[in-house]
Amino acid sequence: MNRVLAIARKEFIHITRDRRLLATILLMPLIQLFLFSYALSFNVKNIPTAVLDQDNSTYSRQYVSALQQSDYFTVNRDLSSMSQVNGVFAQNQANVVVVLSPTFGSDIAAGRLGAVQLLIDGSDPNTAQVAQGYAAALSAVFGGRVAISRAQAKGVSTSGAAGITPSIRTWYNPEGRSANYFIPGLIVILLTTVTIQQTALTLVREKENGTYEQLVVSPIRRIELMVGKIAPWALIGALEVIIVSAIGIFVFQIPFRGSVLLFALGSLLYVICTLGLGLIVSARASSVETANQLSALLAVLPGFMLSGFIFPIANLPIVLQAVSYIFPTRYFMVITRTIFLKGGSFAVLWPQFAALAVFAVAIIVLAAASYRERA
Amino acid sequence: MSLFGNRKQAVPQAETLGDDAIVVSKLRKTFGDFVAVDSIDLTVKRGEIFGFLGPNGSGKTTTIRMLCGVIEPSGGTATVMGYDICKDPEKVRCNIGYMSQKFSLFQDLTVDENLRFYSGLYGLTAEKYAERRAYILKMADLEGRETELTKNLSVGWKQRLALGCATLHEPKLIFLDEPTSGVDPTARRQFWELLYDLANDGVALFVTTHYMDEATHCNRLAFIYRGDIIAAGTPQEVKAGLAKDTILRLDVDDGEGALAALQGNSAVAEAYMQGASLQVNIGHLSADEADLPAVLGSAGFLVHGVERVEPTLEDAFVHLVTEQGGRA
Repeated sequence: MNRVLAIARKEFIHITRDRRLLATILLMPLIQLFLFSYALSFNVKNIPTAVLDQDNSTYSRQYVSALQQSDYFTVNRDLSSMSQVNGVFAQNQANVVVVLSPTFGSDIAAGRLGAVQLLIDGSDPNTAQVAQGYAAALSAVFGGRVAISRAQAKGVSTSGAAGITPSIRTWYNPEGRSANYFIPGLIVILLTTVTIQQTALTLVREKENGTYEQLVVSPIRRIELMVGKIAPWALIGALEVIIVSAIGIFVFQIPFRGSVLLFALGSLLYVICTLGLGLIVSARASSVETANQLSALLAVLPGFMLSGFIFPIANLPIVLQAVSYIFPTRYFMVITRTIFLKGGSFAVLWPQFAALAVFAVAIIVLAAASYRERA
Repeated sequence: MSLFGNRKQAVPQAETLGDDAIVVSKLRKTFGDFVAVDSIDLTVKRGEIFGFLGPNGSGKTTTIRMLCGVIEPSGGTATVMGYDICKDPEKVRCNIGYMSQKFSLFQDLTVDENLRFYSGLYGLTAEKYAERRAYILKMADLEGRETELTKNLSVGWKQRLALGCATLHEPKLIFLDEPTSGVDPTARRQFWELLYDLANDGVALFVTTHYMDEATHCNRLAFIYRGDIIAAGTPQEVKAGLAKDTILRLDVDDGEGALAALQGNSAVAEAYMQGASLQVNIGHLSADEADLPAVLGSAGFLVHGVERVEPTLEDAFVHLVTEQGGRA
């Protein structure tokens, strides 16, 4: 036990002496937090919109003001001819152009469908897709409203005969805030990078400096060395989870609806996996550089690409979807997001917990084996 | 350590150990087809400075690693401080000190932090640590520099601090793997003074070195070549193997050229450069019989002087290696 403490204390001194490392550990989470929460907003609101109203009737003006009143579109240009559309897109003045046909008002007045053409700048597919959805919903609502008012004008009671009005409600994240989605994901990513990368480096660095030679001729056991080396990083990982969670909850107002205990248990299982992966890299890599690259690959690939952090796993190619199953990150991502946003219980999350537990055991066995044979 | 470990350790060591710190018998290590160490025997006594010499790749480090209980031998036995290296490697590691040419100190830790770390590693009590720390700081001439970062120390100080860390737990046997490589002559001399002090206190020292002048400081030597010990004994005994040979030092302008000209000459047993002069072993011939100035003169090399010299350890090792080379 004394020997484990001696190693752990020494590791902490290394960390505090290395300013660049210290900055990485402390600032990286904050930078990523603000980057993902502000700069990389995936919310689509206030889409710049231009309108070409070829009709200029009561109905067409009503339609445009309905657009304007929604939070999703900001009408900032009125066009007078189709020839202007290209210029508007090319100069990024608007992402959406709404074209109302010259017969829009008269068609509706006659009980026919009013034609609205929607031109969307597809160079930003995400915004384009969202804008299309909103516009379609808005048109449907507008159409419903017109039908109802026409029925009332004809003296028909609308109390029972009102058209079906779609009512969209997003559960768990009603405002559709990307912070709610990203911060729990970011916690997973930070935990992954810090623990894998730093444990991967810790032993290799010692081998390169020749101090490892000195350690193996001392009475320390391999297991004591392993525990002493990874304990500080487990602690730092836990600290980062707490800090980022706290900033997320108190500054960005993201919800935490589940059990703290369950989240702690999930984090523990996951950290065992990542620390083990780091140790495997450390035992296998021949130099600090190799360890750095290998661990970055291990942390970034499953962390960013295959965890569902940015790209939904269901949208990945089938092969990559299959690959994502062999990294523990995707399971912990589900656990974290579910506990933060939905408050899921163990009854719901047990398959993910079971998967993490299997990974933890397998990785530790593998780490111990490769450590024994290489070190 | 556990209670059980302590009980086992209570077996009276000093009696069973006797005078020998290391006893090696038929020790062998192979890596695949490669024989790194080929059935060597050696004994190191307490309080003895034992020099373990040999060219790079001859099996020195492999032997040390086996004796430290880091790697398992492929065959043979060895007892280090009374413990079998195969059965009790942990006990072996508790009872030895080790210092390598890299001075395995943590560069970003201070002098004190390094000492404290090794103290924790070897489980010293607080009182013991305080006592040893004071002693080592004095020994290494580092008093007042406890809070300095190790990387800011110059080589000589680093080397003495490394020795301090290796002896913190007061081992009775220390392995020193080329401890003085890259250290200036003054610091080397100071360092050897410290080694003599340790030996006087009854500590056995197992030293590998490239420096022949250092080898002569050892009580006994073993010369390992291609995994085999090809000579052992006191420095005098090792040199005595060459006592009947005549070794001449020639003062020639073009030493390298003259060396080439002597290749294949039947009178010449061995020839090699020693600094700027040419060293030639002519076996049992006399200087007149070999008449090297005439031989070289006819080849176009002017010899300014010939001097008979006493064989040095270096001569002895060149001789041994040449013999081995001829045999192989």
